Amino acid sequence: MEKNNPNNVEDKVMSQIKSGRVKLRSKYLFLAEKLGLGSAFVLTFMLAALFFGLSLFYLKATDNLWYLSFGSRGLLAFLESFPFVLVIGWIVLLFLAGFIFRKSGALYDKPFGYLALALVGFIIIIGTIFSFTHLTERMEGVAFGPRSGGAVFRPFFKPGLDERNRGIAGRIVEIGADYINIQTPNRIIKVNLGRLEEGPKKKLEVGMFVVAVGEKHGEEFVATGLHDINNEEEMPMIRRGIHRRFGSFEPTPPPIFLER
Amino acid sequence: MHQKAILTDEEIVSLVRTKNQELYGEIIRRYETKLTHYLRKFIHNSDELKDVLQDVFIKAFRNLYDFDIDKKFSAWIYRIAHNEALNYLKKYHRHSISLEGEEWNLLEDKKDLNKETDTQLLKDQIEKGIALIKEKYRDPLILSIFEEKSYEEIGEILHLPTGTVGIRIMRGKKLLQQFLNQEFYGKK
Repeated sequence: MEKNNPNNVEDKVMSQIKSGRVKLRSKYLFLAEKLGLGSAFVLTFMLAALFFGLSLFYLKATDNLWYLSFGSRGLLAFLESFPFVLVIGWIVLLFLAGFIFRKSGALYDKPFGYLALALVGFIIIIGTIFSFTHLTERMEGVAFGPRSGGAVFRPFFKPGLDERNRGIAGRIVEIGADYINIQTPNRIIKVNLGRLEEGPKKKLEVGMFVVAVGEKHGEEFVATGLHDINNEEEMPMIRRGIHRRFGSFEPTPPPIFLER
Repeated sequence: MHQKAILTDEEIVSLVRTKNQELYGEIIRRYETKLTHYLRKFIHNSDELKDVLQDVFIKAFRNLYDFDIDKKFSAWIYRIAHNEALNYLKKYHRHSISLEGEEWNLLEDKKDLNKETDTQLLKDQIEKGIALIKEKYRDPLILSIFEEKSYEEIGEILHLPTGTVGIRIMRGKKLLQQFLNQEFYGKK
């Protein structure tokens, strides 16, 4: 035995322990670390699920997917209205949740591929449930409402209602010879139908919801394709945006009535 | 002394945590040789090796409450040693691997390495070969061949699934074989 030998590793380590220079770290510190990592994981997981839910909600509640019904002609409008912020946010949070999970060391003996699949699967399931609850709709209400918390959510929803250069959606309030005026969540916009190549299936009527692709020229929108929408409930975020901007829909009196 | 000898590592850790910190000396005695043997592959200088070994035992002591008493202590302390060795290699930008005399005997016993090369291998070529293999293949290979750890233990030390350990060891051996073939016969 090499007792009291300063070169002996055991003696060196034990002398530091006995002198109190090296102490056991408190078990509560490890508990707090584990709790902190656990909470961070749960938070990022739930945020990832929420972002996925919001992305789904955005896709089904705005005009975004409608532009694909125009085929290649609607591609630019689709890309312009795509919820990039939400989808990128979702992907970043997904990776962050995976990273925190790996960092925690839990289930290290399970293949990473299965864990990643399970993580993505759970996030998609919970996110889908979120998108079908009123939570996302309520968040939209908060985002555009007078409450101070709205500013936090607005960047995620605003692109759904922004004025676009390649597409437009809204309610017809006036029909002219080769144009229509439609209410959008931002303002009333004149849609020029002079260069229309793909028209609606139904006869246009005031109060009808339409979606169009084409190009914005100054204050008016020149449409090359226009589809009527059977039910305004199919684009609820646009409908609510218009309602917030213009109130309840009342057909505009004919121009002859206004001139009197 | 006799009582200490019949206690398992996990039981000693439990006593160190709650009652008697001096029992940690027994843990050091049990692992000093094993860890020195393991660390020597990464650290050639004996003074530096002693410093790293001391750091391993101090780190292990400080973090004893982080150890899950239901798991194997040996895998846990090897993991600390492994991480310290990697930190050392990163800090000093050293990448060579050193094998000792007894490890050559172990290597001879591994018939699955390659019968043809077993007889012709030169020490420096093997060392060079292992050092050149990617870390993710090298570490399980070292633990399997030279530390004679089971796949489960290697999985616990490196935090990898057992299946992945097996695949990496197999790939590591293949890479080593390719390197040696290239060195000796100039073929890929």
